[in-house]
Amino acid sequence: MSSNWTVNDLKKWDDKICEIAKNYGLDWYPISYEICDYYEMIGHMAYHGMPSHYNHWSYGKSFERTHFYYNAGMEGLPYELIINSNPSIAYLMMQNDFYLQVLIMAHCVGHSDFFKNNRCFKNTDAKYAVSKMRNAKKRIQGYIEDPLIGQEKVENFLDELHTVRFQTQRYNIPRKSFNEIRREEIIKFNKMKKSGKLPADDEFYYNILSSDNKLLRPDHDLLSFLIEYKKDWQTWQIDLLEIVRDESLYFIPQIKTKILNEGWASFWHYKILHDLDLDDMYHIPFMKMHNAVIRPHVGKINPYHVGFYIFKKLEKEQGLERCFEVRELHDDVSAIRLFLDEEDFRELNLFSYENKRNGDVIISEVSDHDDWKIVRNDLIRNIGINAIPHIFVDRIGQSGKLILKHEHDGRDLDLTYANKAVESIQKIWGSDGVKLYTIVEEEVWEV
Amino acid sequence: MSIFKKHNTNADRSATDRRRHKEKIEKAIKEGIKDIVAEESIIGQDGKKKIKIPVRGIKEYRFVYGSNESNKQVGSAPGKDIKKGQKIKSGKSNKKMPGNKAGNTAGEEFYEVEITLDELAKYLFDDLSLPDLKKRTNSSILSEKIKRKGYRTKGIRPRLSKKETIKNKIRRQKKAERNGTYDPESDERFTFHENDLKYKHIEITKKPITNAVIFFIMDVSGSMTKNKKFLARSFFFLLYQFIRYRYHNTETVFISHTTEAKEVNEDEFFKKASTGGTHISSGLTKSLNIIEERYSPSSWNIYAFHCSDGENWSEDNEKAKNAMSNLINISQLSGYVQIKGKNESHWGEEMADVFAPLVQDNFKILKIHGKDDIWTEFARLFGGKYEL
Repeated sequence: MSSNWTVNDLKKWDDKICEIAKNYGLDWYPISYEICDYYEMIGHMAYHGMPSHYNHWSYGKSFERTHFYYNAGMEGLPYELIINSNPSIAYLMMQNDFYLQVLIMAHCVGHSDFFKNNRCFKNTDAKYAVSKMRNAKKRIQGYIEDPLIGQEKVENFLDELHTVRFQTQRYNIPRKSFNEIRREEIIKFNKMKKSGKLPADDEFYYNILSSDNKLLRPDHDLLSFLIEYKKDWQTWQIDLLEIVRDESLYFIPQIKTKILNEGWASFWHYKILHDLDLDDMYHIPFMKMHNAVIRPHVGKINPYHVGFYIFKKLEKEQGLERCFEVRELHDDVSAIRLFLDEEDFRELNLFSYENKRNGDVIISEVSDHDDWKIVRNDLIRNIGINAIPHIFVDRIGQSGKLILKHEHDGRDLDLTYANKAVESIQKIWGSDGVKLYTIVEEEVWEV
Repeated sequence: MSIFKKHNTNADRSATDRRRHKEKIEKAIKEGIKDIVAEESIIGQDGKKKIKIPVRGIKEYRFVYGSNESNKQVGSAPGKDIKKGQKIKSGKSNKKMPGNKAGNTAGEEFYEVEITLDELAKYLFDDLSLPDLKKRTNSSILSEKIKRKGYRTKGIRPRLSKKETIKNKIRRQKKAERNGTYDPESDERFTFHENDLKYKHIEITKKPITNAVIFFIMDVSGSMTKNKKFLARSFFFLLYQFIRYRYHNTETVFISHTTEAKEVNEDEFFKKASTGGTHISSGLTKSLNIIEERYSPSSWNIYAFHCSDGENWSEDNEKAKNAMSNLINISQLSGYVQIKGKNESHWGEEMADVFAPLVQDNFKILKIHGKDDIWTEFARLFGGKYEL
């Protein structure tokens, strides 16, 4: 096994870490560390650390890619991998040095605390996350082995679903079903009738009163929409739709809080390691590693860097208490909006850049007095769920055609990819057809 | 306070998904083949050369932002003095700015696979086989043959015979019922036992098969444009790879002709260009002569393929037809491959029409209009299992 530690060492130091963390008021799920080698680590990474996950070739591809880059020395492996579950499962690579394991364990306590307390994670069912995925895997395996369904159908359907996997509830606003919308509209209708203010065009209300399954309001949750409004699903297909959607709903909070989550974990590993009073032989490599983790990356955004900066600043200006509050209430977007000002943007030396048509990359704004807000807005558009284009169902057109719209915010879609994605939705929706409206170079574009 | 576990059991958990991924790549290679066979650079190369294949269909599509100018991104510039309007990457240089790849743009995925020509041949031809290799004397070629041979109690899972296994189980169940140890009316299931398992057994036998010689005949006259020659080369390249892969000891003869034919080596065949008129018959007659000299039909399996653009000097048509007819009579399989644009007009009678009456089981006329046809026509020639 590894060079300079035993599991007992880890246990001893874990106890110390836990005690310090507890005294600070951190409140995390119990953590279950699994010690694995690099090969197993790559395996776990392919499935986002989930100890059990349904099979799909894309995870094999993900493995091959990581393995290739790792072997070619082009990429290192992440030192920590921890999942949002109760207990939290984290992986420790055997090859890691002792000081690194201690750092990772302290870091994981921060993550687990974040999972347990941040508002965004309230609906992620941490207790059942692992068993839910295990059961999903079993059911999907069952469909694959079912002679009436089989591998090909399951795989193809998953292919299509993965294309739109994140086109579901992004803002935690509960979605309304057809019946709920209809009831609301009927109440509205009756009110209007009572007051004698019926609108001249009553077709809309005719639609509501007829039991037909029309889409009355745009639906911003494509996957749920498909489950509800397409009528000829087979049970296994609905199950797959739900499995994919639920997995996205499980991961979206992590996407939305990447900066704060990593910042919080780094903030705590730094604090805890400081309090641990490590020997110099451990403390110096630890400081080196810490600085490497939170260093800014030239030309991109390092979430560890920005997140650590935010919490350090909050602690200095508003106290530790406030840090706990922020980790509970905020996500990346709101934290950047509220806590980073002009001075911070200049300190972080953030800039916006554009890709010119001729291939040049030009700095369009730097964080100076005039432009820092532009840089901030550009940053916000590129983080978390905002980095994924938002496609919603506008209506069901004549003859059942599905009309989708892209919520255009100035950024155009990649059309090759959009075409393929629409093809996938078409396969899911069926022969009635699908149309997507977006904007390309300031003109309406149909895909 | 935390829990520590060593060594999880699902060590190679992604094995299944990797296998599926690999299968998809292989399939994509087969589908992408028409782009590969027309790649000039691979023609005439040896089997160890690696080629890059653009593999489609294993890309994972989703909605992403493009890289147009309004899609601005943000980065940090630690310790650097930066100015508005500063160019951080020039479109002219290929150097990428480190970390310029944002996670939300499409970007390049690794979907180019590098394989050797031998591997390519394996993917392509494993399911085809040269038809009708009649046994003739002087056998010197060994071929492997896989034959089913009964059942065994041990084996690998893919060879599990469900039918035999269930038969065993039923046998055992009936016996148990007779002995009274199992009551079929009860709710208890009669489960499979390890001893029920039966596996198909296969045996690989090496069989001597006969000699084969392949004639590649190509019209290199002036009317064969560069593009057509290129297509002909691609088609022959496929044939050549196929034969080289499957029949290591097969001999090949290359004949290029204008009004006169001559035997050339492989390199010359694919690379040399000549000008002049066309006598299709010349190439065919030359083959017949060579057969007479070196490859007696009684001991050799003869395969002959002729590639041309269908233009022939009309006085030669009858002669060509006769020569082809003679060649068909002594060949296992022969083919005439006409390479011609769809809307291209022609002088006089097309050779495909001249040869049409000769079409039979061992003579096929293939028409290639563009590079998309190469693989389909090739597959059609050898059983046509792959309709892509």
